[in-house]
Amino acid sequence: MPDAEYNLTPSDIVALGEILDRIVPEIDDLPGAGSLGLAQAADDLSQHLPRWRKALIIVAEAASLDPAARAAGGWPALEPDEQVQSLKTIETSLPDHFNGFVELVYAAYYSDSRVHARIGWQAGAPTESRWDLPPWDPSVLETARQRQPFWREAPE
Amino acid sequence: MELEKVDILIVGSGASGAAVAWRLAGSHFSVLCLEQGEWIRHDDYPNSKPDWEIRARGEWHYDPNIRAWDADYPVNVDDSCIDPLMFSAVGGSTIHYTAHVPRFHPSDFRVKSLDNVADDWPISYFDLEPYYDLNDEMMGCAGINGDPANPPRKPRPMPPIPIGEDGVRLAQAFDRLGWHWWPSDNYINSQPYRGRPACGCCGNSGLGCPNGAKGSTDVTFWPEAMARGVELRTGARVSHINTDAEGRATGATYIDQQGNTHFQPANAVVLAMNGVGTPRIMLNSKSDAHPNGLCNGNDQVGRNLMFHPYAMVAGYFNDDLLTYRGPVGNMIMCQEFYETDPNKDFVRGYSYQVTRSTGPITTACGFLGGPLPWGESHHEAFGTRFGNSATMAIIAEDLPEPHNRVEIDPDLTDTSGIPAPKISYTLSENSRRLLADGIANAETLLREAGAVEVVATHLLRSAGWHLMGTARMGEDPANSVVDKWGQAHEADNVFVVDGSVFVTSAGVNPTPTIGALALRTADYILAERSDLTTDR
Repeated sequence: MPDAEYNLTPSDIVALGEILDRIVPEIDDLPGAGSLGLAQAADDLSQHLPRWRKALIIVAEAASLDPAARAAGGWPALEPDEQVQSLKTIETSLPDHFNGFVELVYAAYYSDSRVHARIGWQAGAPTESRWDLPPWDPSVLETARQRQPFWREAPE
Repeated sequence: MELEKVDILIVGSGASGAAVAWRLAGSHFSVLCLEQGEWIRHDDYPNSKPDWEIRARGEWHYDPNIRAWDADYPVNVDDSCIDPLMFSAVGGSTIHYTAHVPRFHPSDFRVKSLDNVADDWPISYFDLEPYYDLNDEMMGCAGINGDPANPPRKPRPMPPIPIGEDGVRLAQAFDRLGWHWWPSDNYINSQPYRGRPACGCCGNSGLGCPNGAKGSTDVTFWPEAMARGVELRTGARVSHINTDAEGRATGATYIDQQGNTHFQPANAVVLAMNGVGTPRIMLNSKSDAHPNGLCNGNDQVGRNLMFHPYAMVAGYFNDDLLTYRGPVGNMIMCQEFYETDPNKDFVRGYSYQVTRSTGPITTACGFLGGPLPWGESHHEAFGTRFGNSATMAIIAEDLPEPHNRVEIDPDLTDTSGIPAPKISYTLSENSRRLLADGIANAETLLREAGAVEVVATHLLRSAGWHLMGTARMGEDPANSVVDKWGQAHEADNVFVVDGSVFVTSAGVNPTPTIGALALRTADYILAERSDLTTDR
């Protein structure tokens, strides 16, 4: 099994892109995560968090070793429903690593500006997006204030 | 080189250590605080970075086992269903708390007398009340008095922070059900206060507040304490407390960032590392006078560990209120189910801390719950949740049990080679029933508020924010570690001032109670322990 130091090859990245499309498929006019070109972003992002890196390497390897994928000439050659089945098998056999991998894919996907535009998210540092909430309005307490004190007395 | 002796040596600079340092500052005592972490530059906080959500999942994670900074120590959690969360820096865990700060109730100090469980505290709510007020003033409390679920209290220093349209929606649902709710007390500025700005409502204050609007002790107590002569020495990792033949503390041994070992002599030692760090150092401080660890002749140090077991119930709405706007943990609270109800199959009770939602990565990866489904159903699940949710966090009173404890792991160490703690913790049947009740009532409320879907996380593993009970206070030296002033029974110049001294946990966040207890102990030292001063 490759370790966390393993660098994905160009063909690994292609296969990873296919996997990403199954994890986060297309929606409206936005392609799936892989077709958005986020496989490389996921690879880069995984370098920042050891558990993400380990999950990526293990899931990528598990996909490459899938018997159906090997018979078909590689994971990208599987039909989409076969790809989903393959991922479900990996999820069942390696749940913790698969969850870590899914987290990584979501992190890459929801960091992308095209995704932000679709979901209406204002990207950037939170401190740059100071929300103007309506000011505190004491009248919302009108009902709550009518209640008599009900805290429980206790012996000194 | 021998270090100069100080009167009072504080270990830890968080909610309690900072409060003691501030209270003793400028007095006849010389005061030094040792902190294993460093000052955090405010522009290093994740909230000042575009990739804040990714940083929060790694290098800024609440869990020291994931964050793994050099200043952190690892914790063996193999035998615990809850992971302890903490932060190692100037300000301690106030850097990453949400600053939601309800007080204990009078009944919380008398659970044995009232409900025949656990033990009464040796102090009452009203003993602590003036120190709650003082802590609120120093930390900067935004809120409003008149809450019928609590004793009357002084006007808060600032009005509440806005509860938002989402808060109003939930408040109205509470009103329709006839259930209590009240705007949370928060150590977050709703207006400029003591030189710090008002909150910009930017979101997750649990990741540190870059503009200083949140009351963490690095921006509240510490500047004033240091201006009045307290020394704060960072990067100083205490390995053990030294004692003499009679068992009294003589100071502390610490390791600096270069790996050099120092002995810091002191007339008294104040332990302020909270419910895991304090027993860890006490148990690491074995000597001829304390063969089982510092002040552990009765085998009580490390026992009775209490978390607040958290269940989370999320409601999803379809009206796009953008619920990620505003401080995440600081909307409103409910204490309708706080006290023992004889019609229920459990004792004691719980609070609801109603929280907002957060950014898209955290939403997808599972905010206070599990990750969203992948594949064809992902987008629908995300669309339902993102910006459309409110979560009711159930803060359940955890009762003390001796088998829930902190010990020293035989193999695990921090990066300085100091033995690290091992946590053993199981959820009691009472807590399990209590959480189940909280989940059912939360679903009722969220449905009343218009939620189209409600999802419960029955026990959140990564939720050990509150660490309590491991060096508890009491009148009886046989079953407690410190007295009502936080002074150790077995060494009259050792004080414990953090969550370790809690006799019971109540059903609220503990930080203001920790601060109040620390201030009270400081006043005791000032008034009664002039013997701890070295003539200079």
